[in-house]
Amino acid sequence: MGLVKRKAIPPAEAAKPKQEQSCMELAACLEDADPRTRRRAARDMLHCPHAAGVLASRLNREPDTAVREVILTTLVRLNDPSAAGRMADCLRSEDAALRNEVIEAIGLLACDVSDVLRSLLADPDPDIRIFAVNILDSRRQPDVESWLIEVIERDAHLNVCATAVDVLCEAGSEAAVDPLLRLKDRFRSEAFIQFAANRALKSIRGA
Amino acid sequence: MRASPPPSEPVPAITGEDFLKFKEFFYRKTGINFESAKRYFVDKRLVERIEATRTGDFRGYFTLLRFQDSGEELQQLTNLMTVNETYFLREEYQFRCLVDSILPEIVQRRTGSHPIRIWCIPSSSGEEPYSVAMYLMEMWSGISDWDVEIISSDIDTSILRRARAARYSIRSVQHVPALWLEKYFKGVANEYQLCDDLRQAVEFTRVNLSEPADTFRYRNFDVIFCRNLLIYFDDVSRKTAAETFYEALNPGGYICLGHSESMSRISPLFKVCKFPEAIVYRKGLEAR
Amino acid sequence: MKRILVIDDAATVRMYHSGILESAGYATEEAWNGIEALEKALLEPFDLYLVDVNMPKLNGYGFLRELRQQEIPQAPAIIVSTEAADHDELQAFRAGANGYLIKPVSPLQLLTHVRLMLGEAQQ
Repeated sequence: MGLVKRKAIPPAEAAKPKQEQSCMELAACLEDADPRTRRRAARDMLHCPHAAGVLASRLNREPDTAVREVILTTLVRLNDPSAAGRMADCLRSEDAALRNEVIEAIGLLACDVSDVLRSLLADPDPDIRIFAVNILDSRRQPDVESWLIEVIERDAHLNVCATAVDVLCEAGSEAAVDPLLRLKDRFRSEAFIQFAANRALKSIRGA
Repeated sequence: MRASPPPSEPVPAITGEDFLKFKEFFYRKTGINFESAKRYFVDKRLVERIEATRTGDFRGYFTLLRFQDSGEELQQLTNLMTVNETYFLREEYQFRCLVDSILPEIVQRRTGSHPIRIWCIPSSSGEEPYSVAMYLMEMWSGISDWDVEIISSDIDTSILRRARAARYSIRSVQHVPALWLEKYFKGVANEYQLCDDLRQAVEFTRVNLSEPADTFRYRNFDVIFCRNLLIYFDDVSRKTAAETFYEALNPGGYICLGHSESMSRISPLFKVCKFPEAIVYRKGLEAR
Repeated sequence: MKRILVIDDAATVRMYHSGILESAGYATEEAWNGIEALEKALLEPFDLYLVDVNMPKLNGYGFLRELRQQEIPQAPAIIVSTEAADHDELQAFRAGANGYLIKPVSPLQLLTHVRLMLGEAQQ
């Protein structure tokens, strides 16, 4: 007993990966009863160039958090803009975990998701519009501020605007000052909007 | 004709509002909360990076930090804002946790006598995995009943060479109790050479955590130490690493992060576990 | 002094709610999401939890479910939600919430609910 030294990880030659599965086989494994199989398939589909659609469709039906996380990581790394729309559909799910996982993942996509964002920001459901603002918060694109300004100028819903104002504390510049003042005016009797807008103005204007 | 010296650049000022803005952003991204007492510490480093990136002022620098595609500057800054020295028995409370809480739990649930497997990544120059080995020998009664395998990995092959060589400065061993120093090290010139028994107790391997081809073989671990690594990763790499660790752990296996790191900024896959010595994370018992 | 944990990924919301609670004499701490909230609660349990629903990594319902499984002193939890999709009080109570508020929450609403949950007489 005690500390053991031996080749605990099989050297490369001895441990060849199982016959590399084809992308079709991997796609089939995504539906396997064993979550471990599904998870590994989702991971290995990183090498399947057209896998994004299949992976995105699985999201809504995948009950296991770990599998979903791997599906989303693969989707982010595949960076296929065509999957963003189907990912965004998951925002309507009753499952709070799925919704929030997807918000994060769309935020991380390096590709252009403007079409999806535009569509979400025009959605009749204010919660969907809030999720769109959450996505903007995770985006590194330089025009995030102009999107947020458009929200606080145009959106009728208090909570959607409030969410955008919070993001502007970090992402806002001089360009946001007048829109924030107009927002304050629009929601004159709403204490939270006044608080949030004042905070954003202070953050933008500096000490 | 002599050139006149260039006008000295004004040192960028960090206002109270700038500090608040930075503090909130950094807390959001890393979970680290800088109190106002740390103003001097933070301001100094911000100024250093503003100058290094030539962004001119805090506003320009913050824009870079917030919007840079690669996230490289945030990683640089995080490096500067955290203490990254490595030495034997660093964050010792986690080794105590290993021996007093984690291993007893693992052993209790065990069926069969296959070895207990521990993965330390990154290995850096080896202080951490050798600390684990030493701690197990000296502080764990179960060491006489159980086989333990320690694997330690790093992306950098030159540091792996140093780790295998296991020769350390006095600075590195300053927290090692005198008795252990005597037992496991030999003084050579003004350095300390780790004894062969412990050197042979750790298997060092080269791994790029973001590369599935490297990591897919890492399975059936009971404990993973991944301290002060993920905090320097970008969001996607962090996620990937967490998923790799999930795959690598047995059900009920544990993972320990660095003292200023938290799964709250990394992944929902692990259960938060509070032991008397530390907060650690565990893969679900029913998970596969 | 009663300790309240304010859990929300939006800094503005956390500051707003903390401000109201502190003015009323409560001690507050903040958490950015459900995981951080759990870590704090495990270190030192609170007297009340104010819980946002939508947060990264671990949302409000997930946090509550985990919290209620832990062998630590339990405390009342108020879910604070936006309208529409999260307007599902049943889900909140099933997860272990004791109260349910819809954003934006007025100071009076918040304090009334908090006092009720803490079993304090109305001021």
